[in-house]
Amino acid sequence: MTGSDNLGVLQKAFMAQVLDEDAPLPDGWGNRHAAGMGVYRNNYRSALVEALRSTYERTEKWVGEAAFRRAAAHHLIANPPTSWTLDDAGAGFDRTCAELFANDPEVAELVWLEWAMLEVFTAPDVTPLDLPGFTQATGGFAEDDWANLRLGFIPGSASRELAHDLRAIWQALGEEELVHPEFALESARGCLVWREGERPTFVMVEAEEVRAFQAMQRGTNYGDVCMMIADEGDPADAAMRAGAMLGRWLREGLIAAIH
Amino acid sequence: MDSIAPFGGFGLGLRRAHYPDFLDGEVEVDFVEVISENYMVDGGKPLRVLEEVRAKHPVALHGVSMSIGSAGGLDPAYLDRLARLAERIDPLWVSDHLCWTRTSAHNSHDLLPLPLTHEALDVACANVGRAQDHLGRAMLIENPSSYLTFPQDELTEWEFISEMARRTGCYLLLDVNNIYVSARNHGFSADDYLAGLPLDRVRQIHLAGHTPGEIIIDTHDREVCGDVWALYAKAMAMLPVPVATMIERDDNIPPLADLLLELGEARAIAAGASKSIAA
Repeated sequence: MTGSDNLGVLQKAFMAQVLDEDAPLPDGWGNRHAAGMGVYRNNYRSALVEALRSTYERTEKWVGEAAFRRAAAHHLIANPPTSWTLDDAGAGFDRTCAELFANDPEVAELVWLEWAMLEVFTAPDVTPLDLPGFTQATGGFAEDDWANLRLGFIPGSASRELAHDLRAIWQALGEEELVHPEFALESARGCLVWREGERPTFVMVEAEEVRAFQAMQRGTNYGDVCMMIADEGDPADAAMRAGAMLGRWLREGLIAAIH
Repeated sequence: MDSIAPFGGFGLGLRRAHYPDFLDGEVEVDFVEVISENYMVDGGKPLRVLEEVRAKHPVALHGVSMSIGSAGGLDPAYLDRLARLAERIDPLWVSDHLCWTRTSAHNSHDLLPLPLTHEALDVACANVGRAQDHLGRAMLIENPSSYLTFPQDELTEWEFISEMARRTGCYLLLDVNNIYVSARNHGFSADDYLAGLPLDRVRQIHLAGHTPGEIIIDTHDREVCGDVWALYAKAMAMLPVPVATMIERDDNIPPLADLLLELGEARAIAAGASKSIAA
């Protein structure tokens, strides 16, 4: 065993103790070491729980501090951090909350939204394509060119289908005193998240728009997305619905480039 | 590796609560220190704020996640991001801690202690050397607070740091509060610690508050205490070159005016120390 191997073994044992007080103490350790280790373990736990509280401020307000702390502790035990950035400690918290708050499924959706807002906050700076730019770029398009159109979106933009009215929940959480609003939806809708300048923002949209957005994010061309929309709903106005989506993405500054 | 010129200013850490003060007004500091990791991002508001602050003040980049004591070596992706930030900000210097924060599997996000062994010294020196090569500049390495020592220890912390500075050419960030905390926790003399360091390598001093108790904890959540001010005065009188002094506050963050008052105390002590040297 080389010197750094010895250090590596020690560090693995030390880390195991930080993560789990039931892990065996390294060889030769006594009560004094255990007391010191308690300080490190407490620092670790409190820093990570505080990081999750900071990332999911609105979720904590929605579920209450005690329930949030229990969920955060559970998440950190099940998913000890691997990244150098503390922000990543909150990754996957929506899956944790989907399990822990199975009877309150809006919680996992709210967690997803706060995470998407955090991710887009520090995404690369890209100037969105404006209407004159888009018009100029597509001015000479023939029908085939429209069918083959592919879009590049603003980095960090995200979307998902929703079963709950996150807009109502978000607005209620912005008030000083939380009054739980009606948040059930009659049918599934969706949410688009992006950044306006420096400010993360979101909008509720129809579920088919989310599916279209996700398809175009994956590189599907506009023609195939129109076909997809026609298959899902009334084919008679599919082109109009697809055009309305494209118009919204353009107006809201979600489109960064056309290909 | 280029040397780092002495810089004798007084600064504060840039914290989110004080963004408006720094962006909208003139803050009486000679430099600002930021936590590197908070700005090792792709874009958005944090980088814009940092660039605006940088236009007004010199900036020191202070990291908490390099993990120079990791037996498994450094994270190349981390180094790449830090190098990009340093290129963008043109900092006074880049610093991190004598500690480890990660194994190949997990990251503690806490400054974990190194056994003070020759093995660990070899690892730390190799990692500091690699980081300095990657960044193209000498770094400052900070002495940590610690809450336990290892049965395997073969060196004092000041011997370890002195040898690391000699081998790697790194400079030192002397955290006076950390010396005080570790000295009290482990029963060594803070005076011996100061006397044992290559003080000509010190380029920056940190001052901070701690939480008293059976084990003293470096919490950065309160004012600097009298004992730490006294140790700061001793250190300033011993240092052969001007150094930058900075007050760290990471929790219970008060209005900026309160921190500037505390920084004024540091200025007064430093002025007194330079008078006593001149006399």
